[in-house]
Amino acid sequence: MNGNATTASPSLFERGMLMLREKGDLELYANVFVIGWAVIFTLWQGVGFAVTLGTVFCIWAILSVSLNLVVGYTGLLSVGHIGFFGIGAYGMAILTSDTSYELLRTESIPQFGLPFFAALPICVLAAGVAAVVVGVVFNRFRDDIYVLVSFGFAIIAFNVFLSWRALTRGAYGIPDVQRPQIGSWVADGEIEFLALCVVFLLIVVGISWFLVSSSFGRVLKAIREDEQVAQVFGYQTTYYKLAIWVISAMMAGLAGGLLGSFTTFVDPNSFILLESMLLVSIVILGGLASIRGSLLGALAFVLLEEGMRFITYLPSEFIGQVRQVVLGVMLVLLMLFRPQGLAGRYKL
Amino acid sequence: MTSRNVAHDEYYGIQTIGVTKAFDGVKALDDVTFTIPIFGMTSIVGPNGSGKSTLVNLLTGVLPFDEGIVKIETNSFSVIHAHETPDHGITRTFQEVRLFDQMTVWDNMMVVLTNRKLFPSMIERSKSEHRDKAEEILKQVGMWEKRESMAGELSYGQRKLLEIGRAMALDVQVYILDEPFAGLFPQMLERVKDLLRDIRSNGRTVVFISHNMDIVRELSDHIIVLESGKFLLAGEVEDILNRPEVIRAYLGA
Amino acid sequence: MTDARSYISNRGNVLAIVLVTLVVAYIGWKITESPDQALQFAFNGMSVGAVYALVALGFTIVYSTVWFFDMYYGAAAALGAYGVFYLRSSETLGGLYEVNNPVVNGVFSLIVVGVAFWALHTALYYRLRTRFSDRALRIGFGVSALIAGAYVDVVLTRPEELHVTLIPAVLAVTATVVFLAGRYAYANLISSREPMVFNVILVVIGVALGAFSAFLIADSPGSKLYLSWAVSCFLAGTVSLALYRGLYVFMRERARSPLVMLVATLGILLAFSALIVIVFEPTPRPLPEPFGGSAHEIAGANIKTLNLFTIGVAVAGFLGLLWLLKKTTFGRTVRAIGDDEEVAKVVGINTTVIIATVFFIGAVFAALGGLLSGHDTAIQPRMGLLLLLKGWIASVVGGIGNLQGAILGGFLLGMLEQFGIWDLAGEWRDVVSFVVLILFLSFWPAGILPRK
Repeated sequence: MNGNATTASPSLFERGMLMLREKGDLELYANVFVIGWAVIFTLWQGVGFAVTLGTVFCIWAILSVSLNLVVGYTGLLSVGHIGFFGIGAYGMAILTSDTSYELLRTESIPQFGLPFFAALPICVLAAGVAAVVVGVVFNRFRDDIYVLVSFGFAIIAFNVFLSWRALTRGAYGIPDVQRPQIGSWVADGEIEFLALCVVFLLIVVGISWFLVSSSFGRVLKAIREDEQVAQVFGYQTTYYKLAIWVISAMMAGLAGGLLGSFTTFVDPNSFILLESMLLVSIVILGGLASIRGSLLGALAFVLLEEGMRFITYLPSEFIGQVRQVVLGVMLVLLMLFRPQGLAGRYKL
Repeated sequence: MTSRNVAHDEYYGIQTIGVTKAFDGVKALDDVTFTIPIFGMTSIVGPNGSGKSTLVNLLTGVLPFDEGIVKIETNSFSVIHAHETPDHGITRTFQEVRLFDQMTVWDNMMVVLTNRKLFPSMIERSKSEHRDKAEEILKQVGMWEKRESMAGELSYGQRKLLEIGRAMALDVQVYILDEPFAGLFPQMLERVKDLLRDIRSNGRTVVFISHNMDIVRELSDHIIVLESGKFLLAGEVEDILNRPEVIRAYLGA
Repeated sequence: MTDARSYISNRGNVLAIVLVTLVVAYIGWKITESPDQALQFAFNGMSVGAVYALVALGFTIVYSTVWFFDMYYGAAAALGAYGVFYLRSSETLGGLYEVNNPVVNGVFSLIVVGVAFWALHTALYYRLRTRFSDRALRIGFGVSALIAGAYVDVVLTRPEELHVTLIPAVLAVTATVVFLAGRYAYANLISSREPMVFNVILVVIGVALGAFSAFLIADSPGSKLYLSWAVSCFLAGTVSLALYRGLYVFMRERARSPLVMLVATLGILLAFSALIVIVFEPTPRPLPEPFGGSAHEIAGANIKTLNLFTIGVAVAGFLGLLWLLKKTTFGRTVRAIGDDEEVAKVVGINTTVIIATVFFIGAVFAALGGLLSGHDTAIQPRMGLLLLLKGWIASVVGGIGNLQGAILGGFLLGMLEQFGIWDLAGEWRDVVSFVVLILFLSFWPAGILPRK
């Protein structure tokens, strides 16, 4: 052995570091790994399970794509996105509720009895209106103060869900949320619902892709990089930030509406602050300023939870916690070695 | 309002009247009144801390001013919004180069060119006229080969050139350049000088801040001297630079 | 006069004045309506505010040194509270539920080993290098660190004998404190060069006092609760120090912006809060009543001894930190690092040691806040995040990066929260505090006492 050979070839550690920094490789591996995992999962657990999983994935994917518009493209690190998700879900639950289960109620809530497809646009709009109000207030904040006030929005939203009992039944939650229905056809089966979710996911991804590849998207990136310079070049940045915030919130509201209808039960515990933090971490994990990254992150997130159910010695009540630990550790590692996330194009 | 400068009233450009700006009670600009002529090249000179950059920031709305009026063309403003500067016919560069670091050189140029209206910009893809303009400017500043690389990965000189190019892409009357020559090696210096001459030869106004008196002598037609936040003098270059008070302000004697 | 006029001519300021007037009028109306109840609310506000102030103080000292938000603080607060629960679970649960866990003890011991090794190395390496070989030093430090870790393991595995196992620690801490205080007093009051005899006398007095207090503690099993406070604060601080030295140092070298640190520490908070749920289960738990659960009645309003103690701790902590920052060499270095870390490094300050110490102190404050609020209400895994947010809000309201602002903001936030929920239900507390935050950020973005 001569000394030159050992110094010339990088050590395993160095090669690993190199691989982590070079974008393409790791992104590819991550894609192959996660998607391969999904395929194996389907083969192993059967199609029925995969359909449920796919629906959950679609909902989380809509959420994380929508959040990526704000965090990755516009550079506003919002931890309060779960609030809009909750507004969507509660909107769906309240609007589609009818009189058939009145006896179950401990407190009466207004009954609208709207069909799913009438309620969904209203959910989206409600999230949008809430986003206008919140966005006008939040627009002046930046960086870590933005994080703090967005925490505030998540907490305020959660408290409203929990404490405005006349509308949300508080901690009891709202059961029997309607499934989509067109005429006599009810999307009661899981596979129909999955198809619906996929359609919505495609729409959301399409809109997001269209927006970020337009001039508008370029301005958003400019705002992320240096808001003041973007202003000096003639852009009224507050409007741009507000616009993308509202669009993103409406997508989250859509995801919320789908979730409410999918689980047919809505209660405040699905919209706690922690979920919001997990959402942010999957967006960062998948990759900032990359729609593909968000899809990847959401898929990894969903598979992580379900995959852990099959680790036999792990008690089932700890799965959520272990997933949280894994996500937390991954966040730390990503911030150390790959601040743009797996497939991202923007370093925090 | 003392020391009103009347020598340049025949010019019709940017005029500041009694502009004052204080940071935590310390006056960075105190009752500054002068006129930037509309034609030719004007340099703003003054020792460090004399408020040159603050002045540029006030004119482009990056900082609000406390008192005074800025007249641009025939309009008077007591408040300037940053996003209105192109409408006022002004664009600028920054003292410490401020590019959109995590965007490509190409996108850095395109941002300046595309539609300023919110909803039309959402459906606008890149237009051929914008692409042509960006290509022209990038070739002019010699960054065409670098168009796919991230702006944050460029060298200092390239960043400086790109920033000037980004300002040039905007079709306005007044180009305010904050220290365009700082920290450049001679070859680059010539290049930036040529760019400035190009802009002027199109009948535009160039206003620049510089500490390099040779360049100021060589390029500028007019000169504005600030000293510790106060307007000192304005006029023709040769005339001003030989004045004893200017020399005193510079040598601190 | 012109200043006042221009102040009023600003529309935002008018809104702010109207707002303050409304709030004051509302509170005034409430006070005149039922003074007794108002006093009770004020007491509650003070007690809650003291906890917020404690968290905000720890937060502020760290933030004003390194200028990023360390979200681990939430976990530190929860660790403080759960540490007490861990050590005193037999009193609260009556031994029905076995909490003590060898894995947890082992992990903490390992962390202590690492920190002890690092501390010994930084403190002694350059002094002893000339006398001993590197290898001997490393072995010596390693063995001492292992002994420290083993000691912590022993303490953690025998929570029922805390008053016995902690005797050496009490002796050592008391002796050190007496020694240092004596030297400080001598140097400041008499002469800057103390004679050797004086040092010897101090050591003797210190050891004697230490032994005395150790015997006092060993004699009273009731002290176990208060000793567990010290242990859990120490552990939360040690974890914070270990995180800084083992992780943040490397991360800050690469980080492009404070947001990177914020996200990374968010990950740490996520991991820690999940681990707390795994070890302790998500259900809320009570902590034993300190001070025998006694309460005082003042002018028709009740206040628990614990709450008075909390307020006292907050004020004392504030004064202590103020003294530390303004009067000591350590404080001057901390402020120098806060002003410009690079320059501080260049002039020869070992910034890593100083910042690590600051992280330790900050986490101790957070843990104190957490455990005192845990005694007041109950503990639950998500309390950490909430306390962190409240401390963060308090420091923003008071003026970020400013100790006076932190304590003022803490108490003010507590009071506003309590008076805000008077007519609402108690569950709107968090909403009230975030509304306060947003109003403050809108009208006084720099807080009440802006940092100079």
